[in-house]
Amino acid sequence: MGTSVQVKPLSGVYNENPLSYVVSIDGFNFLVDCGWNDHFDPSILEPLSRVASSIDAVLLSYPDTLHLGALPYAVKQLGLSAPIYSTEPVHRLGLLTMYDQYLSRKQVSEFDLFSLDDIDSAFQGVTRLTYSQNYHLPEKGEGIVIAPHVAGHLLGGTVWRITKDGEDVIYAVDFNHRKERHLNGTLLESFVRPAVLITDAYNALNNQPSRRQRDQEFLDVILKTLRAEGNVLLPVDTAGRVLELLLILEQYWAQNHLTYPIFFLNYVASSTIDYVKSFLEWMSDTIAKSFEHTRDNAFLLKHITLLINKSDLEKVPDSPKIVLASMASLEAGSSHDIFVEWAADAKNLVLFTERGQFGTLARMLQADPPPKAVKVTMSKRVPLVGDELAAYEEEQNRIKKEEALKASLVKEEESKASHGSDDIMGDAMVVDASSTRTLSDVVGRHSGAYRDIFIDGFVLPSSSIAPMFPFYENSSEWDDFGETINPDDYIIKEEDMDQGAMQVGDLDGKLDEGSASLILDTTPSKVIYNELTVLVHGSAEATEHLKQHCLKNVCPHVYAPQIEETIDVTSDLCAYKVQLSEKLMSNVLFKKLGDYEVAWIDAEVGKSESGTLSLLPLSKPAPPHKTVFVGDIKLADLKQFLSSKGVQVEFGGGALRCGEYTTIRKVGDSTQKGGGAGIQQIILEGPLIEEYYKIRDHLYSQFYSV
Amino acid sequence: MASTGQPAPSLKRPDPPATREGDKLIITPLGAGNEVGRSCVHMSYKGKTILFDCGIHPAYSGMAALPYFDEIDPSTIDVLLVTHFHLDHAASLPYFLEKTTFKGRVFMTHATKAIYKLLLSDYVKVSKVSVEDMLYDEQDILRSMDKIEVIDFHQTLEVNGIRFWCYTAGHVLGAAMFMVDIAGVRVLYTGDYSREEDRHLRAAELPQFSPDICIIESTYGVQLHQPRHIREKRFTDVIHSTLSQGGRVLIPAFALGRAQELLLILDEYWSNHPELHNIPIYYASPLAKRCMAVYQTYINAMNERIRNQFANSNPFDFKHISPLKSIENFDDVGPSVVMASPSGLQSGLSRQLFDKWCSDKKNACVIPGYVVEGTLAKSIINEPKEVTLMNGLTAPLNMQVHYISFSAHADYAQTSTFLKELMPPNIILVHGEANEMGRLKQKLISLFADGNTKIITPKNAQSVEMYYNSDKMAKIIGRLAEKVPEAGEAVSGLLVKKGFTYQIMAPDDLHVFSQLSTANVIQRISIPYSGAFGVIKHRLKQIFESVESSNDEESGVPTLCVHNCATVKQESDKHISVHWTADPISDMVADSTVALVLNISREMPRVFVESEGEVNEEEKERKAEKICRALLASLFGDVTAGENGRLVISVDGQMARLNRLTGDVESENEGLRERVRTAFRRIQSAVKPIPSCS
Repeated sequence: MGTSVQVKPLSGVYNENPLSYVVSIDGFNFLVDCGWNDHFDPSILEPLSRVASSIDAVLLSYPDTLHLGALPYAVKQLGLSAPIYSTEPVHRLGLLTMYDQYLSRKQVSEFDLFSLDDIDSAFQGVTRLTYSQNYHLPEKGEGIVIAPHVAGHLLGGTVWRITKDGEDVIYAVDFNHRKERHLNGTLLESFVRPAVLITDAYNALNNQPSRRQRDQEFLDVILKTLRAEGNVLLPVDTAGRVLELLLILEQYWAQNHLTYPIFFLNYVASSTIDYVKSFLEWMSDTIAKSFEHTRDNAFLLKHITLLINKSDLEKVPDSPKIVLASMASLEAGSSHDIFVEWAADAKNLVLFTERGQFGTLARMLQADPPPKAVKVTMSKRVPLVGDELAAYEEEQNRIKKEEALKASLVKEEESKASHGSDDIMGDAMVVDASSTRTLSDVVGRHSGAYRDIFIDGFVLPSSSIAPMFPFYENSSEWDDFGETINPDDYIIKEEDMDQGAMQVGDLDGKLDEGSASLILDTTPSKVIYNELTVLVHGSAEATEHLKQHCLKNVCPHVYAPQIEETIDVTSDLCAYKVQLSEKLMSNVLFKKLGDYEVAWIDAEVGKSESGTLSLLPLSKPAPPHKTVFVGDIKLADLKQFLSSKGVQVEFGGGALRCGEYTTIRKVGDSTQKGGGAGIQQIILEGPLIEEYYKIRDHLYSQFYSV
Repeated sequence: MASTGQPAPSLKRPDPPATREGDKLIITPLGAGNEVGRSCVHMSYKGKTILFDCGIHPAYSGMAALPYFDEIDPSTIDVLLVTHFHLDHAASLPYFLEKTTFKGRVFMTHATKAIYKLLLSDYVKVSKVSVEDMLYDEQDILRSMDKIEVIDFHQTLEVNGIRFWCYTAGHVLGAAMFMVDIAGVRVLYTGDYSREEDRHLRAAELPQFSPDICIIESTYGVQLHQPRHIREKRFTDVIHSTLSQGGRVLIPAFALGRAQELLLILDEYWSNHPELHNIPIYYASPLAKRCMAVYQTYINAMNERIRNQFANSNPFDFKHISPLKSIENFDDVGPSVVMASPSGLQSGLSRQLFDKWCSDKKNACVIPGYVVEGTLAKSIINEPKEVTLMNGLTAPLNMQVHYISFSAHADYAQTSTFLKELMPPNIILVHGEANEMGRLKQKLISLFADGNTKIITPKNAQSVEMYYNSDKMAKIIGRLAEKVPEAGEAVSGLLVKKGFTYQIMAPDDLHVFSQLSTANVIQRISIPYSGAFGVIKHRLKQIFESVESSNDEESGVPTLCVHNCATVKQESDKHISVHWTADPISDMVADSTVALVLNISREMPRVFVESEGEVNEEEKERKAEKICRALLASLFGDVTAGENGRLVISVDGQMARLNRLTGDVESENEGLRERVRTAFRRIQSAVKPIPSCS
């Protein structure tokens, strides 16, 4: 009977890979999210490439790489041509995020997966919707209504509701149910009984302290470092969680008249803040209210300097400072460079505010216990000209061999380092020439040639059009570290790193979205109660945990599909429509119960000329039916009610004792039916006295019987 | 010891409420009916009430400026929707929220709300009425801010079953057209709108759905605007030539809305004409300066052009325009351009400058927008020889007066295409001066000559009534819907109504599909009884048709199941207990069981065994038939026995044949058939009061 719904994950199930899922509703294929990770490895888009051309619409939920990173590539290379829907902030900040990604990569490597033009053209045709806007899809999607709803977590963040024939499919990942400084919490609770709920298990295993506690800890750690003359690096995303961090810092700095400089550094910092200032409609009520009353935009940021180039940071006098730089993964961007510069100094602090993407440098640092040394790949782009170019071509073959040899040597060395023997502890920055994860093979092979150039003291012209190739910062640089750091310092530094990394575990949860399991735990189950739940995105362990939890407490059908496994989650809900005839309705007496009105009807089915069913009054006497008591009795409320009626009441032994002898008990509140409220059983016991009948009348008065 | 007074549901047949009140849709303009100003339109349908806009009339003051609020009961209004911040659309809101019994919810867009506060605070400050005439004060405005909720364009909200959302309306920043949907009937209220994109605003959108009723403004009636670029050229040309002859230009304009558009035009013109750089442009409005932050923030409510400019620099950072605080700070030494409010030249800075400049023919006054009847600005458009100054003296009007309308109201071309696209079956014209409105009405009637469109121009407080016969559709869901029934089959279940949606479901599904839950009340009452258990059974058998005896599974004590609803259990030698699940019939059975047991223990048996002992079925049947026939006769008079055991009832020559076994009634007369059927059903339930429990 119901609408056919199928879910097929393309990436991001049983692990923390980027999110990308196909949801088919009666044959109409939605691509929900189109994420990539900071490695930009085309191989994880394999599944997407197989279905890209059959997609009918794309829905984006958050403006970060994990949710929309693959969009430019998919549009350019994989033949994704469907209309795209997102909210205005997701569109704008997503665009800026991709700019930042591109510029960060382009700065250091021959990044050719997509260009700025590709980003522009991918985002150009995005249809922008506002929250709670019911958008009726045209043509093939006739009858399907999509609506973005507030999700919290990131500005413009969306919980998608896809409706067809009155049945809702809710896609809600990474939502945050808590109100924050700049965002309202999600209104996920307002959905009553969707047919299918697709949600994530990302934070299922984490618990979060309160916001106040978490913010305080965050500020304490930063201030401790600053007062000890250290610098603080916050690797952050381009335009997502960083907004909340900026507000926390801005407010604290304003309240306490602090003067430590704060820098927000990425390639699109100033436009990001400019746009964010114009997105007040999408932010929390508090921000909107303060603007209406004082006309002070919360994002004027008086204490924060926006920088778009790392070289600007170098002009700043060398005093304790905070730098919020992208990318959060430390894989690229200014945060990567600054990390390399600062990591060796024990006074400095790297503070992660969210769990790093899997397999990135940030995630490695966040391990528990934190690694004593990490490998960092430094790459730069410099032009190759004249003789050198010739030399490069000549030596190409020789170098190839040499390099292969060298690489294997270095690798051996590394493996020793990671085993952590004391004498190699000094390798704060190990240059791994063989790590070519983000770079093409060709690039790797050339690094040897490049080294010579660097030693020649070559200066980098930033606007050169000459052929370029990446450079691996070589061991001479590393030698500097080795020579300048004395071992004692180094040990302290490790502790400091340790501290930074320890913060990670806490802050990730703290500054990140509310955990799904929390929502499912704390809200009354009937609110989220639905026939079918699909779990995506989250480590295998977390997914399994949440699955078990849901099965036990929330609903009987929980699926956690594997990549490219299509699951059919068509709801087995039966439904059909009938017309209520005027004759029938004129005889119906409704009883009002909160938002609802309830009546019992006995009717006969008739068919109209057009073939629709209609309900007519019965021609023969109605068959008797069991009386239904409608109402939700809370013993505590009942107690109050009874005592207001002059009956002595008290709780005793799990029952409500009324008067001398009569007791009221409530059993079987949550029956086996997936934790749904089910049918309450209320037991009234007592001897044959007048009071019994009085209490019974009072009890009946709490119900509506139909 | 009666059971609770719940009648058996199957017997409940309340008299049908014959009124069709709920299906009448009433629209009443409380203001802006055949006039411009104090927009306020009241609408009610199916017990839901909406008020659109809440303005004041700029030409009146005090209570006289309010819409006709005494025509309605403010406490019944569910939702109040404000389209934009102009005084004639929003300025009686603080009064309505704070000084009346209104307790519904108020919505406006973000930008409207932000400017509303600034604008009204300013209005309260500058309006020079005596204290007792003040409709509200600054505090009232602040309090009203807490009650106003915001809605974003296209966002769909639902309040009390009323669904509504808004579209961009052009006109001014944040202006919205509201679409309201009550039980499937859609009403579009345009407020002030413009279908023409200008420098900073988008054109009004064309709604995706056609409304059943369109309440539309008619400010410009059948007039046509010149194309925008021609108006802009005239505007800049007039200014340029006046200035080059050494004259001064006065532009009386309302502080917010069109003024921003004019400033954008002037700033751009100055940028392109370096020769003008030494001539100052003053903008005399501290209010507009305060509102600039709002304009700089809500760029997403503006058009692509501004948003693209925004990427480089803020277009509302004017380079050639300086603010002017008051006339004292104004150094009137040579050519200059001054934009000042109010737009009608009633008083204030624009009037002060007008008085100063009006007798010099080098000077010019450019009236850039719609001017309200009864203001000086309206009268000088006709270029009278003389004008009366503020101090009462008369002065010759020598300055040139130009009327170049930039007001973003739709003209006839826009209105007619808009309506042609929407094709609403009903058009209600508001917000237009009576003559203009009449002309527009005539023209629209000829436009929609095919006749299916009604065009109505109600006066203030004059109601328009329309009837909508909406089919009520219900969705049968859950267990009840497991198979689709054929015609003639019966459906029984709970009808649950929320807002205007109906669902029918089995009682067991109630908690699944709604937030309601059901309960069973199990009752257990213990009664002291020391007699033999068998006696109870014997006595019960004399009263009830079915008494089954068995032994309790757990304790093995003997039990009796009475009429399949109540269980009597011998708990010990000293007492028995009665268990049952509460519902009216079971309560009745249980209560009479209790009464019976009590009477046994008092050894005062009142129930005697009927002498005949076992009454045979036939006997019973005959008796029932006799009673039934007697009762029918007492109701209808002439009842005779027909063939096949039918009863023939004749009333006033009409015949009805009743089949006593099935309850079927055959009759030519619909009314009689229904009556006989109902009567028979009641008689049946009187003869056999306890339906067998299934």
